[in-house]
Amino acid sequence: MAQAQVPVTVLTGYLGAGKTTLLNRILSEQHGKKYAVIVNEFGELGVDNDLVVNADEEVFEMNNGCICCTVRGDLIRIIEGLMKRKDKFDGILVETTGLADPGPVAQTFFTDDDVKARTRLDAIVTVVDAKHFLGQLEQGTEAEEQVAFADVILLNKTDLVSGDELEKVEGKIHAINRYARIHRTQKSKIELDAILDKGAFDLKRILEHEPDFLEHGHDHNHGEEVASLSFSSDRPVDTEKFQKWMGALLQLKGGDILRSKGILSIDGAPKRYVYQGVHMMMDADWGSPWKAGEKRMSKLVFIGRNLDAENLKRGFEDCLK
Amino acid sequence: MKLDLGNPAWRNTLPFTRSVPSDAPVAACAFSRDGTTVGFGLGDGQVRLLPADPKPPATAAAEPQHKGAVLSLIGDPTTDGFVSGGDDGRLLRIALDGGAVEIVNQKGKWIDKLAAHRATGAIAASVGKMALLVDKTGATREFGPHQSTVTSVDFSKDGSRIGAAHYDGITVWSIGAVTLPPRSFKWRGSHVALKWSTDGKFIATGTQENDIHVWRIAQATDMRMQGYPAKVKSLSWSADARWLYTSSQPVFTAWPFAGKGPEGKPPLQFGDEGAGLMTVIAAHPTAEYVAGGYDSGEVQVGDIKSKRSAVIRMVDGNAVTCLAWSPDGASLAAGTDNGDMLVIDLKR
Repeated sequence: MAQAQVPVTVLTGYLGAGKTTLLNRILSEQHGKKYAVIVNEFGELGVDNDLVVNADEEVFEMNNGCICCTVRGDLIRIIEGLMKRKDKFDGILVETTGLADPGPVAQTFFTDDDVKARTRLDAIVTVVDAKHFLGQLEQGTEAEEQVAFADVILLNKTDLVSGDELEKVEGKIHAINRYARIHRTQKSKIELDAILDKGAFDLKRILEHEPDFLEHGHDHNHGEEVASLSFSSDRPVDTEKFQKWMGALLQLKGGDILRSKGILSIDGAPKRYVYQGVHMMMDADWGSPWKAGEKRMSKLVFIGRNLDAENLKRGFEDCLK
Repeated sequence: MKLDLGNPAWRNTLPFTRSVPSDAPVAACAFSRDGTTVGFGLGDGQVRLLPADPKPPATAAAEPQHKGAVLSLIGDPTTDGFVSGGDDGRLLRIALDGGAVEIVNQKGKWIDKLAAHRATGAIAASVGKMALLVDKTGATREFGPHQSTVTSVDFSKDGSRIGAAHYDGITVWSIGAVTLPPRSFKWRGSHVALKWSTDGKFIATGTQENDIHVWRIAQATDMRMQGYPAKVKSLSWSADARWLYTSSQPVFTAWPFAGKGPEGKPPLQFGDEGAGLMTVIAAHPTAEYVAGGYDSGEVQVGDIKSKRSAVIRMVDGNAVTCLAWSPDGASLAAGTDNGDMLVIDLKR
């Protein structure tokens, strides 16, 4: 049966940030849409929905010698099972535990052919507790990685902090991930169309709405801390060289590079070449066409740790024609 | 029964097939123990029963037995009815009038894989991280927990053990009166299908990483077969245990297990190239034949002796999701992901 790909929204966020509140809000609002929900704890959900599935966050390591190639096998199984149902739904929501690394969830959508055929990762939405975020950063890498992986961030509980504190938290989020859209919220209150079915993960689609999404900004390099780096050029990219370089780079540094995204200009091609990676996994496809007279740019973004700006810049420039 | 695949007249005529539409994907199909009835488990929670003889008219739809989707269905080894598992966490015995009796109810868990052992009347099911055993009296026992959700279960030939697939390998449980410690066989990664060989010597699994893994149980040695373009979700051993048939190729693919086994040998691939990739494969219950269903809707039947195959259902664009032979091997049941329930009569 030819079916449209069902959008999947991943909800992450540290313990107590407001994920379950957001989920309950999504499920109880009158939006006329039907969502399947994959959660860890049944009990916390206040809404009765027979499309709620309990998952155990079963991560497995792929047998390819790559320690960061970890995948949520339970999601593959559950998505396959959901597709056997007669009732189709408008979207799937996946709630991760507060201490979960979003990497394996994202990588699941790069790995499994059945999952890729039936669903698409729409966005990783991270709920951040404005009051406790800076403290959580000290306690481990989870809070930082959840922000690093995000396409959309709900900066929640803004009523519990002063204006100055809020600026500080937002500045920190920005330093980790300059490319996520931040919405300031209280009690996870947000218009649902700001977070659902946005195609935020899929650069091809986001570019149609926000062509300047990957604008060049000021580069940071914080060593052990997660940071974003971007490079751009008005020269076209040699796809063969690019794939070779990126493949080798991710093989070597994929543990540190959490996400990589690129929108590339290819000689003679009418469309943008859109690339994205999660750790060592990568995917590329043609995106939206360049408009007549539009300035063609090649842009590349890395979000990760220990990013060697000089080395990455040289690598990128070597791929340019 | 003989399938005359070398005869052009046989090859050029599609067998008599009854196709009954439904509006939910077919997850599983099976024949009853006596071969008179075919059951289809549907994505709307129904188990639909059709007479195996394809000539009489089909029976009407019944009330859904499961609340969500039916995920698995087998012939009941103790009656001429069926046993179904669903995403409502229920394991049901389905009588021939469609009536259901609940064996297990574990809300929040999925019962997505089932196996039956004819001689002992036992049923095995995957329920979360546990392998569940239902004996012929209806008493249940659980084995586990395993390190991750059990993805497939199967009985040994003599019914004294069950094998359970999960992350990083398989576990073999002794289920007889004397409880022996479980044996684990390790291979990293996610194992998604498991079939015990018809001679009881081997267990084969399909893995998430497009290969298959086979263990010699007595020797605890293992082998890996690679080269598939997709996950191998369907495995089937020939009745004489000489061949392991695998899905996920455009032609019938069989690994040789007679003599010294398949190490260092290529698989035997035979028959006409089908449309697309095989999604389901089912060895004939007694003879040298095998049936394969494709992601295009095509169904072929093959003969490993003559290395011929013939199309017995044409491409329609809807993937074949399940196949089951009748006990006498004279008819074949199939289901598709757009809800077609098929009974194909191979008698000529």
